[in-house]
Amino acid sequence: MNGLRIEQIEKKYMTAETDQKESFTLEPIDLAIREGEFVSLLGPSGCGKTTLLKLTAGLLQPDAGKIRFGNKDITRMPPEARRFSMVFQEPLLFPHMTIGDNVSFGLKMQKVAKKERQFEATRMLEVVGLAGYESRFPEELSGGQQQRAALARALVAKPRVLLMDEPFSALDPGLREEMRELLSGIQRELGVTVLFVTHDREEAFEMSDRIGIMSDGRLLQVGTPTELYEQPASTKVASFLGLKNIIKGNIKAGHFASEDGGIEFHTDKTVIDGTQFLILRPEVVLPVTSSRKPPNDSVHLKGKVTKLKFKQGSYIAQILAGNQQLECLLSREEAEKLEPEKIIELYVNQNELQFVEH
Amino acid sequence: MWQKSKPYLLLLPATGAIVLLFFGGLFDGMLKSLGYFPAIAERQLHLTAYTELLSSDSFWESLSLTLRVAAISSLLAGIVGGMLAIALFMMNQSAKVKESRLLQRLFQLPLTIPHLVAGYVIVLLFMQSGLFSKFLATVGIIDQITDFPVLVNDPFGWGIILAYTWKEVPFVLLMVYPLLARIRDSWRDVSRVYGAGNLSFIREIALPIMMPSWIIAVFIVFVFTFSAFEIPFLLGVTYPSMLPVYSFQLYMSGTLADRPEALAVNIILALMTIVLGLIAYYFSKRWNVTKGWQ
Repeated sequence: MNGLRIEQIEKKYMTAETDQKESFTLEPIDLAIREGEFVSLLGPSGCGKTTLLKLTAGLLQPDAGKIRFGNKDITRMPPEARRFSMVFQEPLLFPHMTIGDNVSFGLKMQKVAKKERQFEATRMLEVVGLAGYESRFPEELSGGQQQRAALARALVAKPRVLLMDEPFSALDPGLREEMRELLSGIQRELGVTVLFVTHDREEAFEMSDRIGIMSDGRLLQVGTPTELYEQPASTKVASFLGLKNIIKGNIKAGHFASEDGGIEFHTDKTVIDGTQFLILRPEVVLPVTSSRKPPNDSVHLKGKVTKLKFKQGSYIAQILAGNQQLECLLSREEAEKLEPEKIIELYVNQNELQFVEH
Repeated sequence: MWQKSKPYLLLLPATGAIVLLFFGGLFDGMLKSLGYFPAIAERQLHLTAYTELLSSDSFWESLSLTLRVAAISSLLAGIVGGMLAIALFMMNQSAKVKESRLLQRLFQLPLTIPHLVAGYVIVLLFMQSGLFSKFLATVGIIDQITDFPVLVNDPFGWGIILAYTWKEVPFVLLMVYPLLARIRDSWRDVSRVYGAGNLSFIREIALPIMMPSWIIAVFIVFVFTFSAFEIPFLLGVTYPSMLPVYSFQLYMSGTLADRPEALAVNIILALMTIVLGLIAYYFSKRWNVTKGWQ
């Protein structure tokens, strides 16, 4: 298998003045990416995503650990010998070269004949929607077009792995959406292996086969978008994925009681006794209505509506249950029956309860 | 009205002095080279000075020497200066910023030294009784100091070439390095990811970017060397002499009749400089690879 494997990769940055104190540490990280897979590293700025990407590219040398491509150890292999491509946050096209020359740069370095690389560059420019731009200079293109050209430069070199460092973050929202669709389409068509870095949840969820959530130099959880969203491994992952209903409490013999005592229920789930965090996705917290009766074993909650927010086709209701603010996703019909200060009954199915230890 | 014309009026004395000295001198020289010399009762315009000059062997030998010395010294200064600029740039890229800055300052030292002093430095170091020959004789590489090649006051002009190369390398460096310093570190990363080693990076990125400045720098060195006087006067031989020295020799020969010829040499020098300038301008425009580089 020509997949990429990152094994126990570690990198420490020292403070500039003394070189004694660690200013940032990328904790040992393991990650395996299958051939043709699209994996995203998602995390806030400064969490080590770009460091991990640069280590993979060979632009940084790790302090420990190994990077393998297939069965080959490429940890000490210089970046120019890895045959990876990388798209950066900025297009970084060479200003003295035409778009055609920029796109075929990788092929030139691979000693591909001029005619062939010109043909390939033209073809790839067509793929990214820049047909006829070969003889223009980068300054003659808009930001979005430049990033397309950078993508063409990355893809035309037929990389074994395509590394992308927040490539669309400098583009406006409309263009970003367009580029995501373009990249997803091309990736599926060419079957290229992608390691994509972003801090944009929507971007990662839309494009990735799997996502790795990073925070403070650690890879917290890796999984498919659905797995991550439905079964976050920690409150940190849940928070980063935008989940607000995180309730600290205690479990004893299958009985959960929130820290403030406002929420209590029995659970069938096998959970270790002790402090636990209950994570409830907003769409699993359902209002009891005449047409929707909760199952017998469901968890019942009562709360006061504090706020209703419209969110692109649906509503988010903020409900005060005990001392906990819960978010609940409602349809328009459901939301129209509610108003602030109204007391409502809610329920959650047992199988939607998610407990994490930290 | 006053507000609009005020800056021009304030600039007028300086502009007037420059125009008068530059164009006035050139115009006067041209008139005299064409035979208009009231001091010796010559008021007719004719090309005698030019025809005599162009038919004299001394002139052609001087011109050949001047072109050779200017071409070799500017090319050497360009090559060494360009190589040093790239070396400093690559040091910077490999995070050896402190060392690079220190070396840059060191390389710029010759800029602070006047050309005349540079000439004397070459005399002291490279003449047969100079420091190098004595050192080589002391360590036994040569038997006697007379075995050391004649590099000062030699007919080929090696002394002049050495002096100009040493003096102008920092100038080329000064012209080229700031452009290289603008190359972003991330370009190096991009090129490495796409398979460019150090040499490919220099060939594909650094050289095309520095080329326009390099051409202009080499041209300036060439033109300066072509028309400079003091170093050829100090380190050259009496015959053949470089054109500026030849002109000086004619001018100071003692007879006023030779002066039109001396001034004709200067006019030819000026014309050649203009032609070379136009050629350099054409190429720098054509190779202006940094067009639009913000």
